[in-house]
Amino acid sequence: MMFTLSQIIFLLETLIFLAAVFMHLVHKNSSLISLYRVQSFIVCIFIFGSAIVTSSALLMFVGILIFGVKVIVAPYFFTKLIKAYHVKSTSSTYLNGPTTLLVVAVLTGLAHSHYFQPLTTLVGENPDGLLLSLAAILISIFLLINRKGILSQMVGILSLENAIVSFAFLSELEATPNMQIGIIFDLLVWIIIVYIFAGMIHEKFGTLDSTVMNNLKEE
Amino acid sequence: MALLIIFGIILISILLSSLVKKRSQALGRVAIVASIIELLATLFVFNQVFKNGVYALSSYFLVDYFGIIVMLIIAVIGLVASWYSVGYLEVEMARGFIGYSRVKQFFILLHFFILAMFFAVVTTSPILMWISIEATTLSTAFLISFYSKPSAIEAAWKYLIINSLGLLIGFLGTLLFFHPAIGNPHNGFLTWGWATANVSKFDPHIIRLAFIFILIGYGTKVGLVPMHTWLPDAHSKAPVPISSLLSGVLLNIAFLAILRFKVITDLVVGAAYSQGLLIFLGLISVLVPAFIIFTQKNYKRLLAYSSIEHMGVVALGFGFGGAGAFAAILHMLYHSLTKSLLFLASGNIFLKYGSTKIKNVANVLKTLPGTGILFFIGFLAITGMPPFGIFLTEVSIMVAGIKSYFWVVAVAVLALALIFAGFLRHIAAMMFGGPEKEISLGEVNKNALAPIILLAVILLVLSFYLPNNLKSIITLASLAY
Repeated sequence: MMFTLSQIIFLLETLIFLAAVFMHLVHKNSSLISLYRVQSFIVCIFIFGSAIVTSSALLMFVGILIFGVKVIVAPYFFTKLIKAYHVKSTSSTYLNGPTTLLVVAVLTGLAHSHYFQPLTTLVGENPDGLLLSLAAILISIFLLINRKGILSQMVGILSLENAIVSFAFLSELEATPNMQIGIIFDLLVWIIIVYIFAGMIHEKFGTLDSTVMNNLKEE
Repeated sequence: MALLIIFGIILISILLSSLVKKRSQALGRVAIVASIIELLATLFVFNQVFKNGVYALSSYFLVDYFGIIVMLIIAVIGLVASWYSVGYLEVEMARGFIGYSRVKQFFILLHFFILAMFFAVVTTSPILMWISIEATTLSTAFLISFYSKPSAIEAAWKYLIINSLGLLIGFLGTLLFFHPAIGNPHNGFLTWGWATANVSKFDPHIIRLAFIFILIGYGTKVGLVPMHTWLPDAHSKAPVPISSLLSGVLLNIAFLAILRFKVITDLVVGAAYSQGLLIFLGLISVLVPAFIIFTQKNYKRLLAYSSIEHMGVVALGFGFGGAGAFAAILHMLYHSLTKSLLFLASGNIFLKYGSTKIKNVANVLKTLPGTGILFFIGFLAITGMPPFGIFLTEVSIMVAGIKSYFWVVAVAVLALALIFAGFLRHIAAMMFGGPEKEISLGEVNKNALAPIILLAVILLVLSFYLPNNLKSIITLASLAY
């Protein structure tokens, strides 16, 4: 049985969505990073696929850059953080497990609601995939809000970026390869900066849990 | 050529600053000379825009009427902030709070910050604008955490995460604005001009959604309520020259991004849609800080909340449209000058009293006579007292909206009155309150006073006399809104 390209893309998009959902459920930071790596790898597959279809060497180069930054560099930095500061488990969440899942379900429903239906006109095929990527966007934003850990917040931002890239790919709204190089450079700088900040936070607060940062409240 | 000079001189300054060894004065001189050249080049561009309507380096780098006003703000405040930094950091170094490497880091990041702001204004590509606004976040994160105190690191982290989240939402909105170009292999280089010329191809439903994403995304950077939570922390924890740039300049650049998209949105779905959203966000951005300002305990945070309020006033101006838009642009200009003046003067107060808490500061007019008078002038100007320009712009904005949005104007005026009362309460305590501890009289550093005097002179002159060319550029810029 052969799968159509559209089905394969939908399957990959589903994996991005599921990775975003599981990011809410895992208790180990290493699992969180693995899920981000999976998400990023799928985004790279999208870019490589697009490069092959359009026979664009520059896009292939962009794909390699994205692979380097998202699949290798970012997880490397995060793993270093885990080892250096012994933060094996993810910090707790503001909402408990069942409530978190309920919110995830609501956000998925919201992405499929009539509010976002106009977006499906962007794609001829795979409107469901597009709405799944939108759900992944909302769920990634929720990860940022719900998790108390610095590392989870970092992964949340990067997962959001992955979800937006997949949304852009499905709707054919990707920026040109030149622009994507600029964006990936920005992202690389961002990763390095937050990595340094994580070190500074640990040095000053002795933990990577964002709830201990309450110096500003006292003023 | 002038734009190349601006970019070139900043890059050279970064290079020179990184090569300088153990001479903090040289770092300051490089920054001041670079800022003067940037200002001169900007004035040249201003003249060209006045004569020809636009100034273009290529089709991807172009300065229009609104662009040159924001460029002028960057250049003027950039020069004053660089000049002030020399004296301010000198004192901080002499007291042993920072070392040479910190000063070097400060100036290099300051150059990057200014470069990113200029780039954001002159690019015609929405994606490049997004990249450069994101670059302003990245270049300023370490400036906010400059003192490495736990509270400064916390503020910088909050700034990084909330702004990154906001800007990613803005990025999604930006991509959605490209939807008519699906299948166009050059869609990443689409310009504002292309979008305006192709409005018939835009889907109104998608544009409505996209504009909301833009408003949330760039609105976070502007500090509009409810996306403002990072702003008081970041602006109050940064060294004052950076606070003056963050409050006085960067907010306008993010607002410019919103307005660029507003033009397209208005052409596709009609002006009422974006105006309604801007009025809503503008009103709550004036209202919420009004209560917080009244009960504020920290004078730098007071100024930061005032920035949120003034961005709210600007949003109301663009929301009301017509004469309101003209007044809103002028308000941006006056606010930039006044808020930078206030932040820099607050830096002198901090250097003298060693605290940003209002209760620890008293009798400033006696202790720091020069700074005290300037701070008091800034207070009168920022709260919209005549004869300062903000009085005129706030009245014009309210008049523009009173017919169609009476209750909005009524609530906004009440909030502005509350803000005046709140400011008066705090400023009176700081300026005239009795001394709680012995503080030596006199300014801390002359270099930290002269730039503020320059700002005050510019503010006073522009409050009484708006040059015809500037007035006509603002008028032409406001026609699109």
